[in-house]
Amino acid sequence: MATEEEQKRLGAVVSGSLTQGVEVRLDASISVEDMAVGRYVAIEGTKHRFFGMITDVSLETVDPNVAVTPPDVSDPFIAQVINGTTTYGKLEVLPMLTIGGDAASILEGPQPAKTVPAHFSTVKLASQRDVEVVFGAEDEKRFYVGTPLDMETKVCLDVAEFVKRSNGVFGKSGTGKTFLTRLLLVGMLQKNAAVSLVFDMHSEYGWEGKTEKGYKVKGLKQLFPSKVAIFTLDEESSKRRRVNTDVVVRIGYNEIEPEDVELLRQTLNLTEASTQTIYQLAREFGDSKWLETVLNLNEEDGKQLISRLNIHDSTYRNLRRGLENLRRFSFLVPHTRENSVQRILDYLDRGINVILEFGRFDDFAAYILVANLLSRRIYARYRENAEREMGGEVAPSRPLVITIEEAHRFLNPELSSHTIFGRIAREMRKYNVTLLVIDQRPSGIDAEVMSQLGTKITCLLDDERDLDSVLTGTSGKSELKSVLSKLETKQQALIFGHAVPMPVVIKTREYGTAESYRELGFLDAAELKKKTQKDIEDLWA
Amino acid sequence: MDIEQAKSQKPKTKNHSERRIGEVIKASSAEFAAQCYKLDEAPPLGCLVKTEGKPGEIYGVVYDVETQSLEPGRRVVARGEKLDSKDEVFAANPQLSRLLSTDFKVMVVGEVEGKSRHYYLPPTPAAIHSFVYVCQPEEVRGFTESLDFLSLLINAKILVPVDEVIASCLRNASLTHPDSNAFLVKAGKELARMLSNDINRLNSVLKRLR
Amino acid sequence: MSLDLSKIIGQIVNLAANLKQKEAQRRSKIRHAVDALASAAADINALKQKVESSKTTWLVAGPKESIDLRQPAKECSTDYIAVASDGSHIDVDRHQSAHCFLINIGIAELQYGFNPGAELLSVPKLYFRDDEVVIMSADGRIVPIEGQLLGIKRSIEECRMLVDRLERPESSLPIIMLLDGSLILWSLAEQIYPDFVVNELLVNGFLKHLDKIRRFGPRPLLALASYISFPRSTEVINLLRLATCPHQQVDCDQYCSGKFSTRECDRVGGILDRELFTYLLAPGERSAVFTSRSSVVTRHYEANEINFFYVRLDREVARIEIPLWVAENEKLLELTHSAILDQCRRGLGYPVALSEAHEQAVVNVGDRQQFWNLVGQVLGEDGISMSSSAKSESKRARWI
Repeated sequence: MATEEEQKRLGAVVSGSLTQGVEVRLDASISVEDMAVGRYVAIEGTKHRFFGMITDVSLETVDPNVAVTPPDVSDPFIAQVINGTTTYGKLEVLPMLTIGGDAASILEGPQPAKTVPAHFSTVKLASQRDVEVVFGAEDEKRFYVGTPLDMETKVCLDVAEFVKRSNGVFGKSGTGKTFLTRLLLVGMLQKNAAVSLVFDMHSEYGWEGKTEKGYKVKGLKQLFPSKVAIFTLDEESSKRRRVNTDVVVRIGYNEIEPEDVELLRQTLNLTEASTQTIYQLAREFGDSKWLETVLNLNEEDGKQLISRLNIHDSTYRNLRRGLENLRRFSFLVPHTRENSVQRILDYLDRGINVILEFGRFDDFAAYILVANLLSRRIYARYRENAEREMGGEVAPSRPLVITIEEAHRFLNPELSSHTIFGRIAREMRKYNVTLLVIDQRPSGIDAEVMSQLGTKITCLLDDERDLDSVLTGTSGKSELKSVLSKLETKQQALIFGHAVPMPVVIKTREYGTAESYRELGFLDAAELKKKTQKDIEDLWA
Repeated sequence: MDIEQAKSQKPKTKNHSERRIGEVIKASSAEFAAQCYKLDEAPPLGCLVKTEGKPGEIYGVVYDVETQSLEPGRRVVARGEKLDSKDEVFAANPQLSRLLSTDFKVMVVGEVEGKSRHYYLPPTPAAIHSFVYVCQPEEVRGFTESLDFLSLLINAKILVPVDEVIASCLRNASLTHPDSNAFLVKAGKELARMLSNDINRLNSVLKRLR
Repeated sequence: MSLDLSKIIGQIVNLAANLKQKEAQRRSKIRHAVDALASAAADINALKQKVESSKTTWLVAGPKESIDLRQPAKECSTDYIAVASDGSHIDVDRHQSAHCFLINIGIAELQYGFNPGAELLSVPKLYFRDDEVVIMSADGRIVPIEGQLLGIKRSIEECRMLVDRLERPESSLPIIMLLDGSLILWSLAEQIYPDFVVNELLVNGFLKHLDKIRRFGPRPLLALASYISFPRSTEVINLLRLATCPHQQVDCDQYCSGKFSTRECDRVGGILDRELFTYLLAPGERSAVFTSRSSVVTRHYEANEINFFYVRLDREVARIEIPLWVAENEKLLELTHSAILDQCRRGLGYPVALSEAHEQAVVNVGDRQQFWNLVGQVLGEDGISMSSSAKSESKRARWI
């Protein structure tokens, strides 16, 4: 491995600014075709060492006439001569960090760049050591997520920082969001940074998932059987897929509050009026009884009710029709002994991650109903705990990360104020609960929510609006935009935000091979048995 | 020391017959002109030559070679109508070799003093009647290790197209380097830097470098 | 005021018309001269006698061989050496700062053949010492060397330079030495100059040089000649006039005093020798050799008696003067004839060695001015007061 000094020199800084990046004139010996947007470079200024990312590569000539009458490069002699002199390559580099030469900065680590390197500073490809200094090595707080472009060094995510805020995973469909999310969940699990509650719409995270080509990959439960519990809304589906479920979730009518139904207004085709009526009925019959009551009303009783309450007939019919739709959700039962919320909380308290499969109920209505309902209750509990904690009564609880998919459908500007998720996002980590939103249409998400996301991990996006929304409020926005739009369709992502010292383009680490499982901490059967024993002992200790 | 003593002295370490090609007949700060001892035996265009400096040696590049009548006002007339060759013309008119001279003009490009080379104009011009020598291959190679001398040539204002001179100088010099193609590429790149605002001129010079 | 050519052009036209008229006349005279030549050549001895016994004011050529001879040239040797000398001078100038004169002699030596070579040089000499700038008699009479006398001195120096060239590496190649102009120092015969001048310059000067050259031989062959182009002499025509004179003892004063253009001899008189020989000779041919009967020759030259012949070049006729020892030596005479033709061929109508010698010698107006400037400068540096006259100052600067 080359030392820093031996690292190949690319060229020199010739102009630029802090906000728009510096321009680097490539030396004659460096081919433009070897450069790639997203790679890291180190710039040796007079007083500081800068660390930056290549955001653009261009062709330049010293004389515009060359473009008009190009010289005869079929002659190898002329081609050799003009390469690097008359014609040369240029890089746009965004300097992001300074790694200073004085003792203070060595102690404090890399600082955000506040100036630019001096004229003609040497620019080199970043060395392994540079990356390690910036990103740190893998340890109990840092989780290895991937490698920078064309390098072998490990880029590590500071998981503790990560869970301090809500975060997002974005990218066009098929670009690897699910893989990334799995990795992040494993990371949080491994480093014990947080406990996760995953609303798994397509049943990909719990037991096993599938690659695009159709290969199976292990889910979280397979990797960490003692740390993960699978809940399901659809027992039959889980059985068919031979998934070991821990709890079957039933939700009683008594658990559904008017706000829950209001969320489903569009799906259930309720008018504004009928939505208002629900609140009336809830006031009338009580939050926990209204739904059951209304569903059980016959014609007669219904007529009486509406005349008493001054409810318009068509409104009522609209309401009834909408509510009837709920019956198809077989996980909704009139009564249930089980308190799903409590079951979930039990597991979470024990530090066991919960993944809720939706089985055949993978449509949006079920998802939003269940996710919102359960999260609302869980959030309320966490708030209580947090307040007690502030009063010094109890020890601080483990942070909770709620993972939701297709976030744009209920974090859009219209709905986000109505869901619990909007609230969670806005309140940050006040009550120890944060979100992990997974989405392919970030432009659909409320800008305010987006701005609350601490770290964003983005795979390839090509819609202009999506790019803009993901990068809102980030420095170096236009430069990063060009980097983002040039990502490969698979296994590449740009991470920026609080959990990384500077934006980084990574090739995501492998997930799916035996090797990769072992690296993540997967234990084989024998080991597992031993471990399980120990866990049980710990449990009852 | 008188002439007799001087003649009897041991000859100087420099071999006096060592490629002596002419004598300085005119000199100024940036150039000098020399007359060849033998008609039509001038150094080639672009050749690197040297003459006595003060101290050291002044190096220059031949940029013009001219053969003409020595006497102003006497022009050369054709004499060979009934003869078969140029040599016969000279044999039939032996006075011609006394009446014509081959002169060459040299652009100064630097001075060499022992091991150090300076690629700027020497403070004083060459002295009249200094002897002019063709530089040996090692001297050419050593001098052209650095291409700084090109800047003096590039901007010279002379009647002969200076790009031809530069190209022939570099071609000749390349033959003294172990890898002549690498030298030409290096020279080409230097020219590309200097002629960055005149691509057409660069193109035409590069074409002449092969 | 400069010359107003427009006022002269008409007069020049008249000149041309006049010449044309005379042309016809001339042609007739030439024809008569040719006839006279032929008939006079019939009896050479009678002619010689008539010449001896005649008294004419005009100079007559001395006949030697058949006077109507037309001698073609022998082929010139491919290997030979031509040495020519020519000079010019800067006369004493009363208006200048110092009393001195300069003679500049040019030498051209050209070797032809298997080892061609050339040497061109000029030898300037400044004469300033008291004894150099005058000719002094034994009893102290002084004649300053300037003007015409300086010209004579120069001619002598030209010859002396040729003598210097006699010191040369051994070689077997024949040598032709050439001078420009006449070998006969006419002006020294005019009785203008005192005898001691004639002695110093001619007897002890020029003729001694000729002797030295004469004694160089016999090996290799060395001939000396002088070349006169466009000669204006009439000696041979005069000989023909004498020949056609009806009087046995020609005595113009006695018989034809006062008569003019009606005399018998006027039928051939009035044209130049060269006109006759241009008509008579074919290119390359030479005429017979004649003796010069000028008084200075007969009185002083002795063994170096000057003979002459005419040679026809491509278009013109030149007069070649040779000392007796060349004329009487068949090989030297042939060498002179063929070499001169060869030199003229190489020199495009004039002997190339002489023209090169001339180029080496020439001092033009600019040179002259520079010379006097230099003299003045050096004298000035030495603190010698230099006063040149106002006239020369005014000549130097062109002013209105």
